[in-house]
Amino acid sequence: MAAAAPPILLFTDIDQPGLNTLDVYERRGGYQALRKALAMTPEAVLEQLKASGIRGRGGAGFAMGTKISFLPKGSMDKYLVCNADESEPGTFKDRELMQKTPHTLIEGIIIASYAAGANRSFIYIRGEYVLQADMLDAALHEARNAGYIGEGILGSEHSLSLVVHRGAGAYICGEETGLLDSLEGKRGNPRLKPPFPANQGLYQGPTLINNVETLATVPAIMEMGGEEYAKLGVETSTGTKLVSVSGHVTRPGNYEIELGISSREIIYGLAGGPPEGRQVKCWFPGGSSSPVLTAADLDVPYDFNSLAQAGSMLGSGAIIVVDDATPILDVAMKVAKFYRHESCGKCTPCREGTNWTVKMLERIELGEATPMDLEIMASVQEHIIGNCLCVLGDAMAMPIGSMIAKFKDEFEAHIERARMSNGLNRAGVADTALAAQGALEEPPGTLLAHQPGGEQAPGAHEGAPGTHRGGI
Amino acid sequence: MPRPEARTITFTIDGREVQVPENTMLVDAAAQGDVEIPVFCYEPKLGHPVGACRMCLVEVEGIPKLQTGCSTPVKDGMVVYTQSERVKTAQQSVVEFLLINHPLDCPVCDKGGECPLQDITFGWGGGISRFIEPKRHFVKPLELSPLIAIDRERCILCYRCVRFSQEVAEDYQLVLLERGAHSYVSTFDGHPYVAPFSGNIIELCPVGALTSRPYRFRARPWDIEGAGSVCTLCPAQCNVTITVRDERALRVLQRDNVEVDDGWLCDKGRFAYQSFHVDERITEPLIRDGGQLRPVSWERALEEAAAGLKRAGAQTGAIVGGQSTNEEGFLLSRLMRDGLGSPHLDSRRAGPLALEHHRALADPKLQARLSDLEFAHAVLVLDTEPVNDAPILDLRLRKGVRQHGLKLAVASPHPSSLDANAALSVRYTVGNGGVFAAALSAALSDGPDTEQLARRAGAEPEAVRQLAALLQGAGLSEDSTGESAGEAPAGEVVVLWGERLTAGPGGAAGVQALLALADGLNVADVDGAGLLELPAASNGRGLREAGALPNAGPGLSRLDGQAGRDTRAIAEGLADGGLAALYLLQSDPLRELPDRELWERALAGASTVIAQAAFLTEGILEHANVVFPAEAYPEKEGTVVHPDGRMQRLRPAIARPGSVRAGWQILAELALRVGLDLDVLNGPMASRQLFDSVPFYAGLTLEEIGGRGVRWQERDAVLEFPAASAEAAPEQSPAEAAQAPEEDAADLAGWRSVWDAPEVEYSPALEFLFPRERAVLPLSYSGGERI
Amino acid sequence: MTSVHRFEHGSRVPGWDLPADLEKDPAEIPDPATTAVPDDLRSEIEAHLALYPDHRSAALPALAAAQRVHGWCSPEAIEQVACVMRVTPAYLESVASFYDMLETTPVGRHSVYVCTNISCSLCGADELYAAVSDAAGDDPDFNVRAFECLGACDIAPMASVDGVYVGPLTVADVPQLLEDIRAGRPVLPEKQLARRLVADPNANSQEWVGENRSPAEGGA
Repeated sequence: MAAAAPPILLFTDIDQPGLNTLDVYERRGGYQALRKALAMTPEAVLEQLKASGIRGRGGAGFAMGTKISFLPKGSMDKYLVCNADESEPGTFKDRELMQKTPHTLIEGIIIASYAAGANRSFIYIRGEYVLQADMLDAALHEARNAGYIGEGILGSEHSLSLVVHRGAGAYICGEETGLLDSLEGKRGNPRLKPPFPANQGLYQGPTLINNVETLATVPAIMEMGGEEYAKLGVETSTGTKLVSVSGHVTRPGNYEIELGISSREIIYGLAGGPPEGRQVKCWFPGGSSSPVLTAADLDVPYDFNSLAQAGSMLGSGAIIVVDDATPILDVAMKVAKFYRHESCGKCTPCREGTNWTVKMLERIELGEATPMDLEIMASVQEHIIGNCLCVLGDAMAMPIGSMIAKFKDEFEAHIERARMSNGLNRAGVADTALAAQGALEEPPGTLLAHQPGGEQAPGAHEGAPGTHRGGI
Repeated sequence: MPRPEARTITFTIDGREVQVPENTMLVDAAAQGDVEIPVFCYEPKLGHPVGACRMCLVEVEGIPKLQTGCSTPVKDGMVVYTQSERVKTAQQSVVEFLLINHPLDCPVCDKGGECPLQDITFGWGGGISRFIEPKRHFVKPLELSPLIAIDRERCILCYRCVRFSQEVAEDYQLVLLERGAHSYVSTFDGHPYVAPFSGNIIELCPVGALTSRPYRFRARPWDIEGAGSVCTLCPAQCNVTITVRDERALRVLQRDNVEVDDGWLCDKGRFAYQSFHVDERITEPLIRDGGQLRPVSWERALEEAAAGLKRAGAQTGAIVGGQSTNEEGFLLSRLMRDGLGSPHLDSRRAGPLALEHHRALADPKLQARLSDLEFAHAVLVLDTEPVNDAPILDLRLRKGVRQHGLKLAVASPHPSSLDANAALSVRYTVGNGGVFAAALSAALSDGPDTEQLARRAGAEPEAVRQLAALLQGAGLSEDSTGESAGEAPAGEVVVLWGERLTAGPGGAAGVQALLALADGLNVADVDGAGLLELPAASNGRGLREAGALPNAGPGLSRLDGQAGRDTRAIAEGLADGGLAALYLLQSDPLRELPDRELWERALAGASTVIAQAAFLTEGILEHANVVFPAEAYPEKEGTVVHPDGRMQRLRPAIARPGSVRAGWQILAELALRVGLDLDVLNGPMASRQLFDSVPFYAGLTLEEIGGRGVRWQERDAVLEFPAASAEAAPEQSPAEAAQAPEEDAADLAGWRSVWDAPEVEYSPALEFLFPRERAVLPLSYSGGERI
Repeated sequence: MTSVHRFEHGSRVPGWDLPADLEKDPAEIPDPATTAVPDDLRSEIEAHLALYPDHRSAALPALAAAQRVHGWCSPEAIEQVACVMRVTPAYLESVASFYDMLETTPVGRHSVYVCTNISCSLCGADELYAAVSDAAGDDPDFNVRAFECLGACDIAPMASVDGVYVGPLTVADVPQLLEDIRAGRPVLPEKQLARRLVADPNANSQEWVGENRSPAEGGA
């Protein structure tokens, strides 16, 4: 990347004390974008958003301007829902925005609601984000007192009500229709699409749902103009993106980057790369729902289309780095158990498929599997993809499938080793072949605790009655 | 709203072009093209599809992902493939996923042999299972209620049962707990799932997770036969299929008549079959000898009965009970009038009505169909509580409110279980339904009496006006302002009224008010609008049309001579000596009729009481001189008439136990012995005589009625219906007819809910329901009054 | 002989393995006349009900409020909420058992959610969870749970203590952590997320002084 400073739109002086208060925010020029928008027609505002080319920042990557234009015209109740249920493992960018500059989000919501014609809005924030929800509550209170929320905002004809709704701990409520059901007070089961939320969303009314980051970018777009924004980034992925980097890196955290820079720049340049002496074994470019990439893919540009071409996805913009000291089985197991715990249970392939995958991985870990089980597992992932009601099934099947495909040898080696230490395979031939490969040594950092003679360490595995809670 | 009209479109499935109404779901459309798409969670009766089981995935050209057929409406020109490799792989994988946690219970599972999971696995599954992990385990089976057992291991989480509980029956007791692979179906905190319609989940469940406890391990599908009939335990007259093994009824299933029951059954209809086979059932003729009833031969019983009837002659009274068929009522009326010269027979509980009023109320132009309850713009439920009087109608009304935007209004003396769904609920005092109707019709025309009449009825005048406004606004869109005062409603309004509206001395006023209401609501001759009566007796309408009335002959024809005594007058006559003999056709006055004290005196005072009964309920046990065993409805042959005029056929499903004889046969033999040859040698002959005697049934045959029934108002013979002459109708001032508020007990004692019946009392499975109903709590599952 | 454990269901909703009590009445919408609801709980729920067009949307906030009052979503708590919201208790139980933060069994007062998802696990969260779990032991005041990604992977491994995020934690921090909770003090103040600056070096144009501190060094 060039030596010039990268463009910072969202994180500008984000740690300024008091930025979460209206006073400091307004002194810095906050709510000017709102005034500018209200002076335009809603269609003109929408044009700006379309011109910016901004794609949804929550994971789906759907163009925001297009999404708004799907909403029907008319004087019925229309809803705008901000998806602040940031539960994708590895993602913590919205947290930063909501905690430190909640007014940016609120301003973005008001402008977007003006463009979409929505009169009721909700922020669905995950229940675990207690501090951030409190920040939003306080900011909302200030905004309401200042006349930014309510009837006839700043003397215009636009009215908006805003409610901060706290979730209670379910990843599936980050899926847009699962969120709608949860907001309606039911279990957070996703709905069939079509009908799409733009037509039949919250309370069966027209609804616009956007991620926190997407909405928080709206004031910046209004300030600089849509076309200026579109000059940033690359053609199909315009603007800047907040990226959360975590895992085996020396400087985990949130970084605002211009879309299109190389992934190596982010992982090594900004986040410091793996610790001394370690290499990148694999990395998730878009949270744990994205297929894994290897060290060979580090130079892929970080934007929607390039990552898709590389066989993965940008998703929520959360990079998780795994170094070469970690067995791939552990990574697979963690990921699979997460999705089994978070599956809503409505559709068959996801509910049963995640369960089956975890059980097979457990069996591999315990040394009662064969290479055929790898094939079965790969086949199960294929059967899940595309057949589920929502994308949670795919969110497990794609990473697991990619891990099996890219690290097949390591899985097979583990199967062999575990079987042998289990006393199940004392054949001489296999022993010597694997010994030659050095595969008989225990890799460091493994979670396995084998003892000779095939006994298992007691209490090593959950699944005994009553241990669903904790869910891992 | 009027029934949806749809144009026909063409789409292609598996290379074949098929024409179907637009927006049919792909699964149904494919069925019309002879292509089967397997489904589990799809059940159109449950409302919108959920697409949860993923079994119906098919390939639609132009859409990259496979689509669920249950939620995809067909559009013109759509091209669908159900036999491609992608679809087959998906179907096999879904079956594989479903079976991985499903226990190998087939040999011990009640559902085996009639199990959609078995069938779909065989038809669309892969044939081998690759799953060798331990399955998920639950404690099983557990009681979910006295009637239903739940086996959670078998559950495939298709959501049908919880959707039924939440969206159809709306009792919201059965829910899913936990999440993901841990989900299971349960109720709150160990409470049982007790609701009037809980049994339907047994039929909905596609696997053996929810099973009927009374039917557990009783039979396998290859042992049994199914026989279709009509349940006569309440006026809803649902179509049923009776499962028969070795001449016993083992269970009752729905027979899905969308015009009658919409595919649901209440728990009474579903489980009361047990009462037909209990020991308490009377199977031999009985005669009272020295104070005790003892079994005798048919000859002896018939002789004794005939002798008693001949002695009494014209001083005989007859009460025709609700479970009698039209033929039985008709033959009894002939026995009484032609054989004994007595006009004193009645099938109504509510007291006498003039013939003109009968005719006016039964006028085909005013009649609504049952399915109109679902599609009308507004329904007024007047003086009846559907869940207690004809339970299935409660579901139909909820469906209308839920799916078609029906505006429901409830007007009754007691809180109703439909109050939560009603746009408006109005209360008035007990017994004043007729006055209330008058007040309402005054409000519709903005008349001056509204205030006074409303107060007489014990209702708030403002509420009455609001109700009038609601009904008049029916059919108008939300935006139009309420400028319709004084005008007829633009849309269809159905008035569902209970027989007690015309009860007692204020009956005539009640009828007048009702007719005025019908006029004000513009229901005459409007398709989709009208009046619908819920009679107190199951076959109340049929018996009236067959001539079992003191002042009307078959087909509501005028009788020569003086009118006979009505029910209450019969009791009075028996008590004071005016009448000597009493014939009870499947009726026990002490159980069913108001004025218990009067009837006790009447039964005691009668010289001969002849009863045709299935159970020795108290009236019969203490007072009957001769008891003929009566058939239960699965043994009967004959016809009944649904409250909306649909003639339905009863066919014998099981053999009669013991020495039970057909009802028509008993009446024919008795008639012979009193000197009248009824010329009936079998059931169809009785039906033929009936059809010939009722002008507006002319040309009807049993074949025409068939399995689905036929409404006589929709046949050509409807032109023969005797028109009511307005001049001859008696007048009664509603204000005079108003009654002071009576004690609740007096009203409730006279109008029992259908749940308080011998069939419920004697069915072991339903025993848990009976004690609560004896206390006559309104069986409202949103909390009724507590006595 | 297999050592793969039998996957037993073991639900966190009590009574999953028991038949329905046939003596009980069906669970309908609770009668206000017979259900006693504490006044402040009632007014809190009613305040939530007023915010939404549909009363059922208040289910999650209402259940969270009842959980604060009762300690967990007990049958009594659910009936109280059901009475105010005019819904059946089964509906609320179904909602409560779906979400991780609503407890359907009695739990300790202080919740310690240790994130054991992928990012934190790569940094040693499993050992941390085991350490916290052991240290808390049987203490009825603590509700120690292994939780899914809490959205704080930059301070991995971390925990949410009564809603306050602290991290990165080491096994050595555990005794102090529990001490702070028991004493009612702010937990490990120097490790709280609230004080952390953003990691992006290009974000801030100057060093903002005040409560903020620089990000902790090191990662995994």
